Parts: sequence; structure tokens; C-alpha cells
Amino acid sequence: MTRGRVQRRLLVLALFPALALLAPLLARALPADAPQAIRALTPVPFDPDATDLATRLRPPDGTHLLGTDDLGRDVLSRLLHGARVSVLVGLAAAALAFAAGTLLGAAAGTLGPGVDRAVLVVTGVVQAFPALVLVAAGAAMAPPSRWTAALLIALTAWPEAARLVRAEALRLSASPYVEAARAAGASPARVVLRHVLPGAIAPAIASLPYVVGGAVLLEASLSFLGLGVPPPTASWGRALADARESLTSAWWCVLPPAAALFLLVLSARKAGEALSESR
Amino acid sequence: MTRFLARRALGAVGTLVGVLVAVFLLLSAAPGDPARLAAGGMPGRRPASAEALEAFRAVHGLDRPVVARLAAWLGSAVRLDLGRSFRDGRKVTERIGETLPATLAVNGTALLLAALGGVPLGVAAARRPGGRADRLAGLLLDALFSLPSFALGLLLLFLFAVRLRWTPVFADASSPLASLALPSLTLALVALAPIARVVRESVRAALASPPAIAGRARGESPREETLRALRRSVPAFAGLLAALVPQLVAGSVLVERVFAVPGTGQLLADSVFARDLPTVLGLTLASGAAVVLATLLADALAALADPRLVDAEDS
Repeated sequence: MTRGRVQRRLLVLALFPALALLAPLLARALPADAPQAIRALTPVPFDPDATDLATRLRPPDGTHLLGTDDLGRDVLSRLLHGARVSVLVGLAAAALAFAAGTLLGAAAGTLGPGVDRAVLVVTGVVQAFPALVLVAAGAAMAPPSRWTAALLIALTAWPEAARLVRAEALRLSASPYVEAARAAGASPARVVLRHVLPGAIAPAIASLPYVVGGAVLLEASLSFLGLGVPPPTASWGRALADARESLTSAWWCVLPPAAALFLLVLSARKAGEALSESR
Repeated sequence: MTRFLARRALGAVGTLVGVLVAVFLLLSAAPGDPARLAAGGMPGRRPASAEALEAFRAVHGLDRPVVARLAAWLGSAVRLDLGRSFRDGRKVTERIGETLPATLAVNGTALLLAALGGVPLGVAAARRPGGRADRLAGLLLDALFSLPSFALGLLLLFLFAVRLRWTPVFADASSPLASLALPSLTLALVALAPIARVVRESVRAALASPPAIAGRARGESPREETLRALRRSVPAFAGLLAALVPQLVAGSVLVERVFAVPGTGQLLADSVFARDLPTVLGLTLASGAAVVLATLLADALAALADPRLVDAEDS
């Protein structure tokens, strides 16, 4: 796998957060007197939450490029704004899981059998359960918001990074340079953070895109069950739950969010594959 | 062997208790008063009186401290008593028992279909790495791994129920077979991807191993060769079994929602909504027990197929 391929695939993956960040500019309601230049720069001139029962369940046409949903909201506008939940929650959850997992894994591999056993027990407990069941049970706990969702997903997603880093850390902590650092009087925290973690983190980085893909799927599942970000905020999982209700009449409500989720998770997997193989 | 399994079983029970304690504390720390939610939270009902709330708390033991409730719950769970639902006061075991057959039927059919499709696909891909079957399997697996189960379910529902009208759109008690077809197919496709991947990887490794090369040199037929490679892959299949169960449990929750199957997945989603703590805990225990049992079974299978695993741990 060449370096260029890795970069291309990461670039494709980066398109999704870019779209998510630009959504409020690309898709928003414009005042009637908006200048032509702004009009030309706003391809989707509809607010994602603006309902219009007069135009509900319209098939795609020149005005609503992907049609409207059961409340007359523009599907494309909601798709773009939905990326802000699906993509950003997925990234935030993966980042949290990565930080917690690498730290715990490095500590488990470096600080001796006591810490190691404690981390292994907690990892075992977390991994023994279907992530969705744990996240759904936890979603009953806190008021639903995108940060609750990210935190809950991160709580189930960190063991993978911990496992990868621990294996490397176990090897490194027996190596002469770490021994030298210990002998020179470095504190345990310094040994973990400065000497072991940088050398042990690579496999966890390579697996990061997979973690992002998993987190995105989990967030969408949570939203699909109605336990994610509360309405009216657009999210791909909730859009699919709504589309189920109008399935018999409106295919254009199902395909866009399903395709968006599919493409995002696929590009995450492909980026992860390229990263792992290039190492 | 017995010692190996006993040790695994002990660890599994420990894990199970750990998860239950964690879920119990998580749900108990939730803001909001379950008594108020359950007794007076239904729309269209008058808010419950103070006496009614007190009575509800007394019945469900909510007036006691969290640790005492946890201990009591764990104690009765050992005797297979999971308490009573906050929602309708019925036994949690009864509610789970009612919904379990539908879930088991869907999952059993799905697992069977997935194995029937996944194993031949994996073997075909493994026989000629980089060949046409291998590339086709790669594309299919990428697609199946990337499509969320509920999106897949909706697409199948749209295709078969709305467009082709082969099956009812929503679960229908009068035609149980047709109602089961699409949910089972969806879950089967979800489970097919990991099965085909593990079969492909382990059979490919087994076919490239020195014993397989020696067999080929002796003039073994491709059929014998493949069977031998499959047998050598049994430990990997055992691990796969353990990995599939949590996936099927999570898949059930979503797929049952898509197809309105009255199973345990729906019960879990409803109970989370209603903040029905005893039912959520009971279902968590049930799904955890399923995962733990599958892991034990996988350990036993792997140990039977490859006694070196036991020796490595006992020495």
C-alpha cells in the first residue's frame, strides 16, 4: 500500500467533517433580499428544521434536490446538518476513546501486574457486553445531547486501543532505554507518558479510523432508536427512523441518510485498512 | 481440561457481576425519580399523590440506599428472580420469557442462513487468494461491514415489502413465517460478513501452512485439502461464535425496531424509554449471560480442537 493511497483515503474521510463544519453555510434559509452572490454560494437555501406541511413528502425536483420529508423539511438540508451529529459525535467519541484507551493501555503495560490486572478486568467487563445495550442503558441516565452520546460511545470503545497499546507497552517496558529512564529516577507517570506511550501508540493510531467508523455506527443506532440527540436536531439515524414511517410512499427519505452512513463508514474502513497495511 | 474450563467459568461469572454492578450504579445515578416517572409519568394521567409515590417506593424497595438495593437485587437474581417491572408490576422474567421466542426464532434462522452463505463464500475466497471469488467476497464484505443493520433492514423492507410486495410491511401475527423472513435475512447478512471473513482468513492460512503443502505433495485432492483446512480452523471458528453473539444481540435491538418484531430487543428499547430499571437490568443480565455462555462454549470448543491451548495455560 503506497503512501499516496493512504493520503488519498484519509483525504476522502476528511471530506465528511469538512461538510459537517460547512453545513450551516451550505444549507440555510436565506432572506428574500439576499444578494445574488450569497444565493449562488448557498446551494441548499432551506433551513433544516423549517417545516412546511404544504410541501410534505415531495419527490426530488429542481427546488428540493432530494425531496422533502413527512414534515415538509428539505431532505438535503437535513442530510448536511445531520452530518454535524453523525460525524462530529463519531469523531469526538473516537478521540475520547483513543485518549483513554492509549493511556490505560500504556499504564497497564508499564506499571506492573497490579495495574495491568485491574485494567484487564475493566476491559473484560466492558467488552463482555454488546456496546449498543450498554450505550442504550446509559442513555436512559443522562439528558440526551450530543455530548452524552459521545461520552457513552467512548466508554464502550476504548478497550480496543488499550489492548493494542498494552501489547506494545509490555514489550517496550522491558527494553533497555525504559530501564535506563527508570534507573535515572524518572517518575512512573513520566516513564508512561514520555518513554513508553510514544513508542507504543502506532498500532492504536492505525486502528483509529475503524474506531471512528464504529462510533459513527453506534451513534446512528442510538439515534435510530430515538435515544440520541433529541429532535428536531437532524441526524442520520433519526432520519432513517422517520423514513421508516413514510417508507411506503417516499423512498427519497430512506436512501440519502442510508447512503451517507454507508459512505462514511466505508471510507473510514478503507482509510484504516490502508493505514494498517502501510505500516 | 476441567480445571481450564472451571477457571474460565469463574472469570466469566466475575465479569458478569462486574457489568451488572456497573449498569445498576449507572442507572441508579440517573437524575429523575423512577417512582415519579413510573407512577405518575404516563401522559393523560393525574400526577400521583404523595402516598402513591411512597407506596410505589416501598413496593420496589426504592426507599432503601443504593448499596442495599444492589445487594438485594444480586441476591434475588441468583435465584432467577429479576424483580417486577416498574411499568406494569409484572415479573421481569415473565416479560422476558414472552418476548424471547420471537428473538430466538429470528436469530436462529439468521445464524443458520449466515453460516450456509458465509462458510462457502469464505472457502471459495480462500482457495485462490486474489482470484475472482476472493475479490467479489472482498467487495461484498466491505459493503456489509459498512452498512448499518437498520439501514440494510429498511432497504430490504422497501425492496421486498413495498416494491415487490412479497412480504407484509410490518410484522403480522397472521403470517408468522412471512413476518420472520425479512428480519432473519437482515440479521443473516449482518452475521455473514464476520463469518466469511474469519473463514477466509483461517482457511487461507491453513492452506498455506507446511502440513497443507505436504498434503498437496502427497497428492491430496482439493476436497480433502479443504476439509483438512476447515478442521484446522476450528479454534478460529470457536472464537467467531463468541464474537457473533454480542453482535446478534445488538443487531436484534435494531432489526426488531425496523420490522416491529415483538422481541427482547424491542422490550429493551421500550424499557429504556420508560426508565423501567428492573427490566433494563434483567435484559442486560440476559444478554450478558448469553455472551458469557457463548464465550465459555467457544473456549471449550477451542480446547477440544487444540489441546495445546489447555497445556499452555496449565503449565
